Amino acid sequence: MAKKEVYIWAAGQISVQSPLSEAWMTEPLCYREPYVQAIDPDYKQYFAPNTLRRLGKILRRALLTSRRVMEETGIACPDAIITATGLGCIENTEIFLDALIREGEELLKPTHFMQSTHNTIGSLIAIDSSCHGYNTTYAHKGISFECALSDAFLQLSNGRIATALTGAHDEMTPDYFVLLKRMGYLGHAPNGFSGETAVSLLLGGHKRENALCRLQGIEFLYRPEKDDLQQSLGRLLQQSQCRMEDIDAVMTGYNGQEANDRVYTENCARLFPGKRLLHYKHLFGESYTASGLGVYAAAACLGRQSIPAHLFFHPGNREQQGVRHLLFYNQFENKNHSFILLSACGK
Amino acid sequence: MQKEIFVTGAGIVSATGINKQETLFALQENRTGIAPIRHLKTAHVEFPAGEVKRSNEELCRMLCIPETEITTRTSLLGMVAVREALAQASLLRKDGLRIALISGTTVGGMDKSEQYYLDFLENDTKNAYIATHDCGACTEMIADYFGLFSLVETISTACSSAANAIMTGAMLLREGKADVVVAGGCECITKFHLNGFNTLMILDRELCKPFDAHRAGLNLGEGAGYLVLETRESAQKRNANPLGRLSGYANTSDAFHQTASSPEGEGAFLSMRKALEEAQLNPEDISYINAHGTGTENNDLSEGIAIQRVFGDKIPPVSSTKSFTGHTTSAAGGVEAVISLLALQHHFIPVNLNFSTPMSELPFIPVTEKKPAAPLSHVLSNSFGFGGNDTSLIFSKI
Repeated sequence: MAKKEVYIWAAGQISVQSPLSEAWMTEPLCYREPYVQAIDPDYKQYFAPNTLRRLGKILRRALLTSRRVMEETGIACPDAIITATGLGCIENTEIFLDALIREGEELLKPTHFMQSTHNTIGSLIAIDSSCHGYNTTYAHKGISFECALSDAFLQLSNGRIATALTGAHDEMTPDYFVLLKRMGYLGHAPNGFSGETAVSLLLGGHKRENALCRLQGIEFLYRPEKDDLQQSLGRLLQQSQCRMEDIDAVMTGYNGQEANDRVYTENCARLFPGKRLLHYKHLFGESYTASGLGVYAAAACLGRQSIPAHLFFHPGNREQQGVRHLLFYNQFENKNHSFILLSACGK
Repeated sequence: MQKEIFVTGAGIVSATGINKQETLFALQENRTGIAPIRHLKTAHVEFPAGEVKRSNEELCRMLCIPETEITTRTSLLGMVAVREALAQASLLRKDGLRIALISGTTVGGMDKSEQYYLDFLENDTKNAYIATHDCGACTEMIADYFGLFSLVETISTACSSAANAIMTGAMLLREGKADVVVAGGCECITKFHLNGFNTLMILDRELCKPFDAHRAGLNLGEGAGYLVLETRESAQKRNANPLGRLSGYANTSDAFHQTASSPEGEGAFLSMRKALEEAQLNPEDISYINAHGTGTENNDLSEGIAIQRVFGDKIPPVSSTKSFTGHTTSAAGGVEAVISLLALQHHFIPVNLNFSTPMSELPFIPVTEKKPAAPLSHVLSNSFGFGGNDTSLIFSKI
């Protein structure tokens, strides 16, 4: 059976950049501090007060970005809701854990526990939209989003589903930031910072007007050996009938942390010699599902067929028009690696 | 025609034993693994639990891991079960295969996080365990113990996590993304979710009584269950002996409430019906339902009504093996997949322990006596999670 083409129909974000907008393309906000929380929109405009009271930050953001892309595409109930989150509802988890440790096991209340599991996010969206379809959640560190996107892509391309809401959601609490900074993962001021992620993508199994871009394919692998990365990339390009010379630029996850950035520099030189490199974590910060924001940013560029100058990793580049193919390369701790190929929709 | 998915290995750890042999023995002898809490350091000793009868030190020794190594109980349980599954499938080397590990967990490294919470915040002495907290870390510890896996993913959908991992694994095989998949889940008991379930008032102080009119909640359990999945072609090429076939799977959303099931069991109804469709089976083809059957008032009623809606007046034998293992939460889908395969292979239906009074709302009672060795052909296994995340798997005889 012929594979169906997969498109990103719509995308929306709440992050450290202006929420629910693409203002970052022309007026990016810059940060020098190590820990930055997302800019929340005025939720009172969108939710009833009793709804707001019940929902923590990550849930508000996920619900609002999801509703946005569903409204934008007129898809009231997607066939699948597939969520990525590295840490899940960490704020609620922390509150319950803190009470358990400091106050003991006798006086606990259920509220924060009830909304502490990772799939609280996907379930909330399903309950809100009365969607009885496929609903799953991937929680695998810096590759969570790729797991979710791959699931959506495979099921859309084989026709098992026709639409998928795919989200990448992570909040960061002050306490957890301190722990992850100590581990060397977050907060490398002034070259990088910790951010928060809420991205929702509405994907569909056919092309339609105003779609942002085509998702050609996705490959990811764990602890690659010898030529595994090269082969994986070759497989992706071949399946997409795309040549390396067709790629306009490669979106990377440079984040200001030395060990992380070294992997990108070495692998980019080896895998994509001479290609212009883009980055996004200087705008959106680092978080486990930051790659969701990276793919969103790439999709936004393809939707407008232009790359703003400030996305180029090396200085001296100007805004580029007429962009057709962007390759997305993400790696986490040099263990998990992924390639995603996105193309402009064309006529 | 979709590729057939064969199960060529299975591994299980639960309160009933640390391998398939011990589990089978307990199931056939009607011997529960649920007992007073021994290993978990909790104030709530009034609740019986299905603890795995090994300390972390004993698990490390079984795995030849130095006790000083940074591990969590969840990952140790996972390693023991994955090891058994790999051995049965004769997968000891990569041999050029792309082998994937798809693992479900929700608690992850919470056992260490709750133990060292104040150390994390106030000093630098237990930093290594900060990195083992999240779900992905748990899967990677298991993957790195074996060094066989070129694709690893973690699924976290609470109590349906392992069942969803098995489903994801099957889809990856069918799309040619991996040659062999090891899929399932693992979870240890923590104070965190024991107390969480206690605040929801869904823990029974006695042994749990699934599908009983006087059921009073669940007993928490822990464990791990993993399957080795591959296509028929791959199994034949490797000369692997299949234990059964994963013939159907479906995941749906109840879309009702974060911690309660809908009165009409809509999500459960849809997941069972879709799994049957996927397997191209009729309801009457199912020989046994290994129910989610937690023993809570809400689940058993909702699941029972959903079973009635799917199967009408021809309801196959139903039992909940959580009366043996306790509710192993994220591992349950894996643990119960292995139990379903044991039932298929050894021609028996595990009984539903502790049942005495039928529920007036349901037209069936669970299996209470060991059935004569009727041949089983297809077993349906349900796993339902928080948020109304409902998954049904169907295992078939080859």
